Amino acid sequence: MVGGPNTGKSSLINALAGSQLAVGNWAGTTLERLSARLDLGGPVELVDLPGLYSLLATSPEETLVVRELLQNPPDLVLNVLDGGNLERSLVLTLELMELGLPMVLVVNLLDEAEAKGLKVDLQALEKALGLPVAGTVASRGQVAEVWPKVREARIPTPMVLYPEPLERALDHLRPWVPNRALALLALMGEENLPLPPEAWEAVRQEGSALAQAGLDPYLLALEARYAKAREIHDKAVQRVKSLPSLTERLDRVVLHPLLGLPLFLLALLLTFRFTFALSAPWVDLMGQAQEVLSRWIVALSLPPLLQSFLTEGVVAGVGTVLAFTPVLLLLYLALGFLELSGFLARMAFVVDRAMQWAGLPGKAFIPLVLGFGCNVPAIYATRTLSHPLDRLRTALAIPFMACGARLPVFTLFAFVFFPEKAFLVVLGLYLLGLVLGLFTALLLGKLLKAGRGEGAMELPPYRFPPPRLLWRLAWARTQSFLQGAGGPILLAVLAVWALLHLPFPGGSPYAALAQALTPLFHPLGLEDWRLVGALIPGFIAKEVVVGTLGVSFFGSEGLMPLGLAEGVRALIDGLLSALAGTLHGLGSLFSLHLSLAPEPTPLQAALKEAVSPSGALAYLVFVLLYTPCVATLAALRQVVGGKGALLAVGYQLSLAYLLAFLVYRILP
Amino acid sequence: MLPLTQLPPGQQARILRVPPEEKRLLALGLRPGATVEILLRAPLGDPLEVRAGETYLLLRREAAKVILVEASREPT
Repeated sequence: MVGGPNTGKSSLINALAGSQLAVGNWAGTTLERLSARLDLGGPVELVDLPGLYSLLATSPEETLVVRELLQNPPDLVLNVLDGGNLERSLVLTLELMELGLPMVLVVNLLDEAEAKGLKVDLQALEKALGLPVAGTVASRGQVAEVWPKVREARIPTPMVLYPEPLERALDHLRPWVPNRALALLALMGEENLPLPPEAWEAVRQEGSALAQAGLDPYLLALEARYAKAREIHDKAVQRVKSLPSLTERLDRVVLHPLLGLPLFLLALLLTFRFTFALSAPWVDLMGQAQEVLSRWIVALSLPPLLQSFLTEGVVAGVGTVLAFTPVLLLLYLALGFLELSGFLARMAFVVDRAMQWAGLPGKAFIPLVLGFGCNVPAIYATRTLSHPLDRLRTALAIPFMACGARLPVFTLFAFVFFPEKAFLVVLGLYLLGLVLGLFTALLLGKLLKAGRGEGAMELPPYRFPPPRLLWRLAWARTQSFLQGAGGPILLAVLAVWALLHLPFPGGSPYAALAQALTPLFHPLGLEDWRLVGALIPGFIAKEVVVGTLGVSFFGSEGLMPLGLAEGVRALIDGLLSALAGTLHGLGSLFSLHLSLAPEPTPLQAALKEAVSPSGALAYLVFVLLYTPCVATLAALRQVVGGKGALLAVGYQLSLAYLLAFLVYRILP
Repeated sequence: MLPLTQLPPGQQARILRVPPEEKRLLALGLRPGATVEILLRAPLGDPLEVRAGETYLLLRREAAKVILVEASREPT
């Protein structure tokens, strides 16, 4: 499936493939790959290529499409056109026809065309182009015409006659490059083409001849294609009546100079609340299930080491992975809605100016803000950015956003050491994270010589996303997290379990490692090995820092065994309260309430003995800045690759150490 | 002839010149001969919402500066 952006290709593949829809990444890239395997009397793979404007690539997505079309030519090109903007869609169609691959056209969005007062004559289009044409409204599942037309697919005849100098150049190139599309791309300066050196030499000669005559091959080709597209458009499209565009009317409100910003903040708040308020009861349920399962295991009276391995290793590890599932699913639903409805592009419009100084596109604002809830879905949310460099820089900035799991550490220390200014300390940490995140993006932009974000992008029209598509996409993306990040997280949890529990000669390896690391932290004012030690499992998840401190200062309490029936009852209770919690969450979507978990006091007194106030502040800064959790790391690995993720860890650790040192030395 | 940034919002214009190296702008439909109109400026003055034919675009000022246009006589 090849077509322009916003022609409804995702809706179409969903309508054609249904539950077969799968999401993954293109080999060697972080670009999302939508595909489906179907049985149409024989196995067929339907692949949704990213939207493109022209084969002359000006973005990574377009480069990928061109690479796929030229290097792994498909058996059939399903060219998807926008019925409401047929002229521009046809420009790409005319270019695709020059590739000489069997083609079928699908004119989608016929409902939008009608709403604009346009009538599309599909038979006239078939006649004008000499290709089978199907009409669809994919968002409503009206796609029945597609498969019969696919059987009529044929190799098209190129239709555009270019101005004389360009045609002459193409003629001269014919012995070397028989394919018109390839010859044109080469003349326009596209370098990634499978051509022999002699062909390139011929291309270079023709190109400089055109340049000497003051002609630009791209402008000439574009002009000729638009002229032909207009001619075909006028044969096939009739304007029945002129209707004002809904998009324009809505935009006057949504992008209003005064209303725009408050509306944007409201949408952001809603996304945040929807994701975290509605997922919280389900995350709690996962926690309850973990506890029930662990207590069942305890009831089995196994050898202590095996029991610990099962409860604190396996169950806790799988639980950590599963606890992200509800958060991610809800986030993907919310983001999918914003993206497919056209609101995400508008939100980007409103904050674009503010993001320009960090060199990021306006769209990057959303993942950054989501990071304050949880870094993991935020990193996955960078997939809404189209440029890989923007995605990389935003993903590497996100771990500095203080996520919810760091808040208990912040509040515990802030209330113990700075009771009068606790609020200011916590706020200061949030701001420090935000500033360092944006600074990281800026720095990477300079290092990688990134452009200053996208200078131009299309604003898609407003559309109501088909609920089934929304659900399938969100679910497929959540599954891709479970498959890609689940293993590494589980492994890391087991590794830390081994460190904490396996008996080694000479005592606990955990204490030994913590004590060995402690001298490194002396310059930060941290001299108690128990404080340093808590940073190690904090690498798995920041949630456990406070708990580990409690255990290492006071020792742990054993889990009570639990009977089968009691456990089942507890799980059912948990499920009911999760349902109730979800309803409650829906009701409180607009509330700003933020609950701070109060911490028990014996630990507070012990902490006061263990470290000085400035050391405590350094500790907080370190906790804020070093790698938030292994799930973040796994997410980073999926978005920026393994090497990038390791570099990120090094960078985060150095920055955390440096700033904690400065805080300890400089602040009184 | 004036840069697109100086076109008053609501007035239609015809694009006269886009530097040939600005392939992205050209591919998005901002090509010589196309009709454009500035619909809105963002709350902070940058970027602009622009319509070119049936296509709606978000254009940063920096990108809009290089597009030269000729205002149509009659405002619409």
